[in-house]
Amino acid sequence: MALPSHISANPAGPSSSRTPVYALVGNPNCGKSTLFNALTGLKQKVGNYPGVTVEKKVGTAYSQHGQPITVIDLPGAYSLAARSPDEAVTRDVLLGRRADTAQPDRILCIIDATNLERNLYLVHQILDLGRPVILVVNMMDLAAASGVTVRINRLEQELGIPVIACEAVNGKGLIELKVAMSRPDLPLARHAWDIPAAIAPAVAELQASLVANDRKAPFIARAEALLLLTDQDSVRVSGSTPLHARTEEILRAWQKRWEGEGTDWAGTLVNSRYDAIGRIAADTILQTGTSAGPTISDKIDSVVTHPVWGWATLGAVMTLLFLSIFTLAEYPMNLIDAQMAALGDWVKNAMAPGDLRDLITSGAIGGVGGGIIFLPQILILFFFIGLLESTGYMARAAFIMDRLMSRVGLNGKSFIPLLSSYACAIPGIMATRTIEDQKDRLVTILVAPLMSCSARLPVYLLMIAALVPGDRVPVATKVGIMVLMYALGTLGAFGFAWLFKRTLLKGAPPLMIMELPPYRLPRVKDVALHMLERAWIFLRRAGTVILGISIVLWFLSAYPKATEGATEQQQLAQSFAGRAGHALEPVIKPLGFDWQIGIGLITSFAAREVFVSTMGVVFNAEAKDDDTTPLRQAMAAAKWPDGRPLFTPLVCITLMVFYVFAMQCISTIAVVKRETNGWKWPLFQIAYMTGTAWLVCFIVFQTGTALGF
Amino acid sequence: MSHTSSNTRLPLCQLPAGALGRVCELAGDAEFCQRVREMGFGESAFVTKVSGTGTILCQVNGNRIALSHGAAKSILVEPVGRRV
Repeated sequence: MALPSHISANPAGPSSSRTPVYALVGNPNCGKSTLFNALTGLKQKVGNYPGVTVEKKVGTAYSQHGQPITVIDLPGAYSLAARSPDEAVTRDVLLGRRADTAQPDRILCIIDATNLERNLYLVHQILDLGRPVILVVNMMDLAAASGVTVRINRLEQELGIPVIACEAVNGKGLIELKVAMSRPDLPLARHAWDIPAAIAPAVAELQASLVANDRKAPFIARAEALLLLTDQDSVRVSGSTPLHARTEEILRAWQKRWEGEGTDWAGTLVNSRYDAIGRIAADTILQTGTSAGPTISDKIDSVVTHPVWGWATLGAVMTLLFLSIFTLAEYPMNLIDAQMAALGDWVKNAMAPGDLRDLITSGAIGGVGGGIIFLPQILILFFFIGLLESTGYMARAAFIMDRLMSRVGLNGKSFIPLLSSYACAIPGIMATRTIEDQKDRLVTILVAPLMSCSARLPVYLLMIAALVPGDRVPVATKVGIMVLMYALGTLGAFGFAWLFKRTLLKGAPPLMIMELPPYRLPRVKDVALHMLERAWIFLRRAGTVILGISIVLWFLSAYPKATEGATEQQQLAQSFAGRAGHALEPVIKPLGFDWQIGIGLITSFAAREVFVSTMGVVFNAEAKDDDTTPLRQAMAAAKWPDGRPLFTPLVCITLMVFYVFAMQCISTIAVVKRETNGWKWPLFQIAYMTGTAWLVCFIVFQTGTALGF
Repeated sequence: MSHTSSNTRLPLCQLPAGALGRVCELAGDAEFCQRVREMGFGESAFVTKVSGTGTILCQVNGNRIALSHGAAKSILVEPVGRRV
């Protein structure tokens, strides 16, 4: 058979000088990431598709002959008819719709042997693309255990493409896969299925228009045409090219006609695909035994999804998570703190006194150090999240939480983003990409920063230290206040989600449909890789954004220069930051804050934890994150001009409440802007959060004052 | 598809735990129906209700699937018998 011209000039062969590009696709939970890690090892790069926070993972594998092969790990998808931004990226890359990612040369399709029919649905759509495909049938061992044998040879004959049996977790089948990937030519699929007669003319017409007007290759055009009919096309993500007007017109005309006739075109297409898949499956699946009673997964589920034991399990997991974040992280955090201080001292000794030295020590080292001190907590959080996800428990947690979330109009899928936001809102917001409903997604993004992140922790700790001095009060009181602040933020998040779902982003109650994967033993390598990826993203941000902001803030508090011999406090008072603090005072006075606190509020707009170091400069005390005693004493001595003490217990509480609600984080604003494709929502978020913070603080302070506190 | 015995139909959320049903109609919006069908949960699929009245848990083709109450309400099934 003569191959079509676009295939026979195969650009993917190892003989060609260019590195071939494979796209790795598959359903969620089919072992795709494990296979990707097994193929590429540590040779991975994690980036972003421009305009969306969907992660772009690219790695390098090596062929049998040692030639490099680029592998793009596409987000898991059930169908090319995308329902979430994640799936939209997968669709757009495969169709060559993205300007930033060239269409892959070959496609590596991974499917779960225990669930062949549903997994073959995506394969069926992908074979439409007319690209060389290698099919990897994963989890052969699990299928065998449940009495199912997949006849790989039959499947290969049936589809006409290389099919590799594989157990990605223990590396079985990897060699065969690499041999297949190294082949200079791959056969195209014998992929014949009958498009239902009622729809065929529309597909032909759309295909013709896509070729003529949208300049698509014939195969891709046919696949696109089929997709346009099933895809409600609700998820267009930035970076995907729009359709030609003529194509849109043809599509609308057909849809109108079918609506008149009562033809369910989308349903018919899905059913005819499943009919074709059913025939393939009947020929390839051999039921060798019956599954004997409930599986281990079923037994675990009967406890973990139980109305009572389920909550108990979730509670225990959450407690363990938070205990680890706050106790285990302490040692490495102290270590980082000490190292940063030592580095600062070293620079101080090595350089002559002057602005440059101050810039490096106070601006760069101080600022970045204040950021990376949270790295241990972030690592622990992501270690846990990775563990919960790879074992399959995370989906159960979402299931348990769905009930509660539905009260405020969200569904269980919003649970993971909100949980991550306890560590940091940025990964939380990035985790919203699996939420299908745009409005639900936006609501989750809007409320995620209300969950008390770890950057608020230093502020809380400082304020509690100022509030309950010394060791006269039991530890329980301090912990109680801390828990209260976390509870306040959480309640705020749920309250605002409820409000937004009823007003701004009104929508029908979400129809959640979520697969609960079978439980698996976690793979330490996968979890560790996931954790390191996060750490790297975080460190890169600390090295760029936070460093930049720290330098700007240093400048604002160091200039204009005070007269010779002025103290550090006098210098700060008359710097740009000090003047801004004075300008802000009328606004924050009703909350019990003076201009000095105002400086802290302004500088910590960059990142909340900056408040602590700013207070250290303002009150001229050497502050360390783990020892707030000198700063506390300096703060206790601070007074209003008329002699009243500044940091009364009420002011300390009010200040904590302010940090619970206020949007004090430039990095979050940047992520929300990128995520929502514009300034509208981040600006709204700043306004509503900081507005709420002011209002709640006003009520707390004024009520407290009236009650005589 | 002619399941006319409408008196035996009930939404999936009302199917008793442990019961087996066959999907006979999807009542949600177009996007929801599309996804449910694509996940092999379309008309004539067999579904075993595992548990739940609010958020429900069920088993389709060997997959565990969680559905929110709204979603389970939109899937009409006819009871076929009990799981053995």
